[in-house]
Amino acid sequence: MEDYTKFKLKRKEELDAVLAGKDNLFVIACNKCFKELDSFDEPECGLFEEIAKEQGKNIVGSARIDFLCNEPLTAKSFQGLIPQETENVFVISCGLGIQTMAAMAEIPVYAASDSVIVDGYHGMALTTTLCEACGQCYLNMTGGICPVVDCSKSLLNGQCGGAKNGKCEVDKEMDCGWQLIYERLEKQGRLQELLDKPVELRDYSKVNHKFISEYVKSVREERFEGYYGGIHPTEFKELSEHIAVVPFPDPVNVVIPMSQHAGAPAEPIVKVGDQVKMGQKIAQAAGFISSAIHASVSGTVVAVEPRLHPISGLDSLAIVIQSDGKNTLDESVKPAGDLDKLSADEIIEIVREKGVVGMGGAGFPTAVKLKSPKPIELVLLNGCECEPILTADHQVLLAYADEVIYGLKAMMKASGAPKGVIAIEDNKLDAVELLQAKTADIENIEIVVAKTKYPQGAEKMLIKRVMGKQVPSGGLPMDVGAIVCNVSTAKAVSDAIQLGMPLVERVVTVSGNRMNKPGNYLVKIGTSVKDIVNHCGDVKGDDVTVKIGGPMMGFAQANLNVPMLKCSNGIIAVETIVKEAVECIKCGRCADVCPMELRPLYFTKYALSEDWEGMKTQNTMDCIECGCCEYICSSKIPIVERIKIGKTAIREGK
Amino acid sequence: MLITQLKSKETIEALAQGKTVIINCHGCKEVYFAEHEADELQKDLNGVTQIITTDYICNPDNLKLQLQKHTDVINAADTILVFSCGVGVQTVAAQFESKKVYSCCDTYPLPGFQGVTPLNVDCGQCGECYLNGTGGICPITACSKSLLNGQCGGAKEGMCEVDKEMECGWERIYRKLEKLNKLDNMKYDAPKVRNYHNPNAEEPII
Repeated sequence: MEDYTKFKLKRKEELDAVLAGKDNLFVIACNKCFKELDSFDEPECGLFEEIAKEQGKNIVGSARIDFLCNEPLTAKSFQGLIPQETENVFVISCGLGIQTMAAMAEIPVYAASDSVIVDGYHGMALTTTLCEACGQCYLNMTGGICPVVDCSKSLLNGQCGGAKNGKCEVDKEMDCGWQLIYERLEKQGRLQELLDKPVELRDYSKVNHKFISEYVKSVREERFEGYYGGIHPTEFKELSEHIAVVPFPDPVNVVIPMSQHAGAPAEPIVKVGDQVKMGQKIAQAAGFISSAIHASVSGTVVAVEPRLHPISGLDSLAIVIQSDGKNTLDESVKPAGDLDKLSADEIIEIVREKGVVGMGGAGFPTAVKLKSPKPIELVLLNGCECEPILTADHQVLLAYADEVIYGLKAMMKASGAPKGVIAIEDNKLDAVELLQAKTADIENIEIVVAKTKYPQGAEKMLIKRVMGKQVPSGGLPMDVGAIVCNVSTAKAVSDAIQLGMPLVERVVTVSGNRMNKPGNYLVKIGTSVKDIVNHCGDVKGDDVTVKIGGPMMGFAQANLNVPMLKCSNGIIAVETIVKEAVECIKCGRCADVCPMELRPLYFTKYALSEDWEGMKTQNTMDCIECGCCEYICSSKIPIVERIKIGKTAIREGK
Repeated sequence: MLITQLKSKETIEALAQGKTVIINCHGCKEVYFAEHEADELQKDLNGVTQIITTDYICNPDNLKLQLQKHTDVINAADTILVFSCGVGVQTVAAQFESKKVYSCCDTYPLPGFQGVTPLNVDCGQCGECYLNGTGGICPITACSKSLLNGQCGGAKEGMCEVDKEMECGWERIYRKLEKLNKLDNMKYDAPKVRNYHNPNAEEPII
């Protein structure tokens, strides 16, 4: 692979002159971009340090920083990096890194290197095909061969006549670009077209710096909007966003796994042959971080046995109930009374008893969140639904706005939070309007409209956007006085209090451009994914991946005989992605988009070399597995998979 | 790092002749790709037999892999329209030498050439970094005239005479040096002459 060296150390004589009269140096080298990631230890600092030492200079320290020109990340690495006694900073980097550094440091910054021009511009994959970014693509008349780059004279109207045996007269090792163009067009039978084309004049003013700088400004704003990084995948929400929620036809059998939440699996309290009613508790929480589970239909328990689990992909204990089709309600399903009359502890107890867990994906028991040991100032309801394709939360906001607001009030009361916020992305303006109207006269509840960006719905991103606070590394939202819950969870809390109904059904989006009949359904927990897919007209084509959840963080299912869980917000059918991982080329995009401000490129190497210490140094455990890095990776590396390997190893104490 | 802008609708409509396959590259979408405008435009085109949206088509191996399952429809097509930067168009054209491959975008350079984060600073890759005497502000890119030996004298209230919305680079340099207590830098340096002969990129020292 080509190594795009962008800078080289200045000549010794020049460095000697710059060094004269300067002492107590700190040396910063950029770890370089666009080169194969083969070592983390480049010798850049060494050579310069030798020259400086020859001159008897005191070097107070040195550092290597990745992507020095990435201002926000560099600022973080730079904090407290330079010892007090430093008088001068020398930077080995391209001009961008040096300028970034110079803008940041309070003391003089000097360049120890020169930037070297890279011939033309290249794509992300470091191909040898070049594009000069002239702003007026000529490829349409030249059969896809660039006359600006491939002709040494950048002629636009045919060959100069100087070529000999197809070789350029300027550079005898270079093919004549216009001969290549001629041959390509001859092959395509387009020579007449070439002869007929009018004379071209290159418009050098087309690369308009004002346009570009304005453009750059707008992109910068978007990138740092609310929080660092993030991406904008194509949404595909139009497939189901206007389809109102309808109840899914009652299933004949439900398979209810004991593990539908973060923490210990629940313990069954029914046995085969038992008659159960809808809403009856069939399994109890097995510890503090665990959750009770209830029957979603009335009928007979026909099995208590391991069944395939959609998230772990393994068999795990489940209760199978054959429905009697009557949905007879359990006696325990009755309203808890007026919210004003319930104490905080009573609300938490109801939420715990009714098996309410986070419905956004992770399934963290809501009662545990509400019983925070730290003071809570804000309950933040997450109605962002930043995952593409999914529209379930959107529909919940539209169809159950009153319940969501009631749930929020209940959670505020339970946690003692004086304020509540419902955050909604600006691609759901109908929901924003509705909620704004409904909360207009509620003083301590605010609707925050967030500009669409993935992964907005991740709790740490949402807190940063709404509260401007950073959850500390390894910390929880409560460390900054916040509780973040999904809007569906708020609706479940409302149902638990107002109806006494435990969490036995949820709104699910069935969509994706390979699903025949997309829709939003109110689905009973334990309903078979296969039945739902069949009901929605099955999938289109044979190169289809079915996922539970969204396209970014959902779980791909090879076998559709799995049940829907409390935290399953969607079933999507999308085109199967084919990819082959190649070497990392340090394009830096993963670091650009990582909302946790990590450097995912390291994880790709460390996972393979089993360097768990390195994983820890690069804060692997802070990764929220949003998949932005993998989405953007120009080398198609399965980064999240490798991060999970590292996390597992660290959790196992390696 | 590149950004793209769609060619005019008329130009693109004229290019779509016969059976047309469209290839969209979303690899640099986070930098810039007019996704929605391109979508709208493609809806109105005649004779489109397939729209393929993928990423990083500048990588020939990846391009081949992504197009594999569309081989038949591409073989049957008369025209391939590519919505990508110039690198992507040329990679497609090289892969389908006998097909008419057309570019639907113009490509512009983007300041900074690392990753996606667009920068406020620019580097002219001149090959002889002048930042040492200028407090880390580049006279090549921050001065509209790329002057190396001080201000031209045309600035008014700190703004450049060429572009009134641009700050005078040399005034910025002066202020920075003043702050660093290094104004002597400007006084005693011998006049600099820019050496347009760049060091050879193929022989890096480091």
